[in-house]
Amino acid sequence: MKSLLRKIVLPTILLVLAYGFWISPDFKEIAAGVAIFLFGMLALEEGFKSFAGGVLEKILKRTTDKLWKSLSFGVISTTIMQSSSLVSVITISFLGAGLIGLAQGVGIIFGANLGTTTGAWLVAGFGLKVKISAYAMPMLVFGVIMIFQKSRHLKGAGYILAGLGFLFLGIHHMKEGFETFKSAIDLAEYAVSGYPGLFLFTLLGIFATVVMQSSHATLVLIITALAAQQVSYENALALAIGANVGTTITAILGALSSNEQGRRLAGAHLIFNVITGLIAIIFIHQFLTAVDSISAMVGIDPEDYTLKLAVFHTLFNLVGIMVVIPFTNHLVRFLERAIKSAPDRYAHPKYLNESAIEFGDTAIEALRMETARIYDKTTSVIAKGLSLSKSEILSDEKIKHVVRAHAKAIVYDIEDVYEHEIKSLCSAVLDFSNRLNVDAFQSRRVSRIRMATQSILIAMKNLKHLQKNMVKYVNSGNPHIRNEYNLLRQRIAKVIRRLEKIRSGEHSDTAILSLDALKLTLEKNMGLLHGRLDTLIRDGHISGEMAISLMNDSHYSYSIIHNLIQVNHNCLKADEAEETEAEHLIALNKEEITSVLSSGGSESR
Amino acid sequence: MDFKMLLKKLKPYLDADADDLRQKDESLSRVLKKLKREELKLKEMVAAEVDSEERELLEQQMNIVHSQRKKGIALLASVREEGKDKQS
Repeated sequence: MKSLLRKIVLPTILLVLAYGFWISPDFKEIAAGVAIFLFGMLALEEGFKSFAGGVLEKILKRTTDKLWKSLSFGVISTTIMQSSSLVSVITISFLGAGLIGLAQGVGIIFGANLGTTTGAWLVAGFGLKVKISAYAMPMLVFGVIMIFQKSRHLKGAGYILAGLGFLFLGIHHMKEGFETFKSAIDLAEYAVSGYPGLFLFTLLGIFATVVMQSSHATLVLIITALAAQQVSYENALALAIGANVGTTITAILGALSSNEQGRRLAGAHLIFNVITGLIAIIFIHQFLTAVDSISAMVGIDPEDYTLKLAVFHTLFNLVGIMVVIPFTNHLVRFLERAIKSAPDRYAHPKYLNESAIEFGDTAIEALRMETARIYDKTTSVIAKGLSLSKSEILSDEKIKHVVRAHAKAIVYDIEDVYEHEIKSLCSAVLDFSNRLNVDAFQSRRVSRIRMATQSILIAMKNLKHLQKNMVKYVNSGNPHIRNEYNLLRQRIAKVIRRLEKIRSGEHSDTAILSLDALKLTLEKNMGLLHGRLDTLIRDGHISGEMAISLMNDSHYSYSIIHNLIQVNHNCLKADEAEETEAEHLIALNKEEITSVLSSGGSESR
Repeated sequence: MDFKMLLKKLKPYLDADADDLRQKDESLSRVLKKLKREELKLKEMVAAEVDSEERELLEQQMNIVHSQRKKGIALLASVREEGKDKQS
């Protein structure tokens, strides 16, 4: 049914448009204006996306800890980008990737609703009063030249400039179209007054916005039509209310591919805009009186209906925010109840959402968080595989005591967890990473994440091999071999604990670099084991078979530790992406670590 | 602001390679500062540590940080050299 509808709707729209173009060249100009305007929005979005991840992510972290801050962030970002849809989609992707919480997301969305009203002010106050097509041409020329540059920022700025140029050009064509259109047909004749008109035009506003997927475009169309007196003031207000409700469709579409957090945010957006719309419809007369008084106060001509529409648009969104803000926590709780989160099933990726794919940095952050989640699961499996408990490994208890408390080794089905959980999650990470469209700098980060998943898989495979003999020899009657295998368990557990401290940031400011000390300890212990193995064989404490097993298993444990360090080496990050790169450049390689080792002491841990 | 100064300020934005080098320089400098602080902290900890085993471990960490700083300083010098070559 859905696909049938889809098959019918698009050709019908195209046919109606084609017929319209045939009978009216003015209609063609208006429609071309809308198309150019929408293309401008696309270019603008493309431009902001190139700045999105890095800059927005940094700003978001600092500015969304309080509701008023996230609200202001929404207002400012939408005012700058002139697209509440882009801000909502970015917010949904950030929320899906776990970068912000639902309450912060709701604050941003509320703010975006207010920020989007600045568009009406710009068009009504500036766009209609000045010949903006004169600005559009140079903007387009400069913008397109900049798009062809190598620098990412210059390219982004080019898209923004070209986008603005297209927006201006689109507005110009809509304005011109309506001006000449009114001499042929007077659309104002079809005005419907009273509440029926209010509802009818609200629905029309919703429909137009759903089709164009941009309340901004609808609003510009309304303002230009209003300026050409092709639509009555009352009906224009209703259209603006409809546009406000219709804009939520973009957020809903964006949330469909997101996780439950994204869907909750889209729900909040819908609820907020519907409530705001209802308030505006119910109190339309009070709003009209308020608009008149405010307009008189700020010196707007009583006949300047376009600016009065901008006042109305801002006013009803502001009232909506004031009404809904006190209930934000209730709204969040309601949405959490209504849209239930799926149980935390490890075999299903938690952070890899379709909505994040378009925003390089956010998608990489989602990948990083998913890999960190797999790492957490892996260390739990390793703890179980060593017949230890992860919570005890991470406690303040001495590792020696933790191992002693679990003197008996038990077989744990590693293959099952590997096959059913770790492997499928790692392949989800790899699949997601293959679908990203990233630049050279981001590509380095993605390839590190791929290497981290590879390290996880190797560590798991090695654990499987190690477990066989470990269970046998930890439960053995020979105290020497038992002691050696307990030492292997201790070392792995110690590394998991130290890595956890590094990951939590309590160890050092330079997390990636602090892994080098662990690598040094690993190399040192490996050398010491060889020495001890010689003694054990020479003194006849262990059999040849035991010695071979110990040699192999010490290599497996070396590899497990090495790969756990590598996961963190490739997954940890500094505050800034550039600093992470710098830490990777400074991190010592194996030869450099060996050289530090040969110049230092020779004691064992 | 005179014209030369303005051009100097604008250069990173107009030249992608110069911008990359500037970012590399800044981030390396920031990490080196952190490492210097860490080395000093470890030095103090080594001096205060009475347990010989712990002290040796701290010394080992200090050696690592020292080597990292040496490597970082050499990298920073090469980045600055590259910047100079590009300017001339």
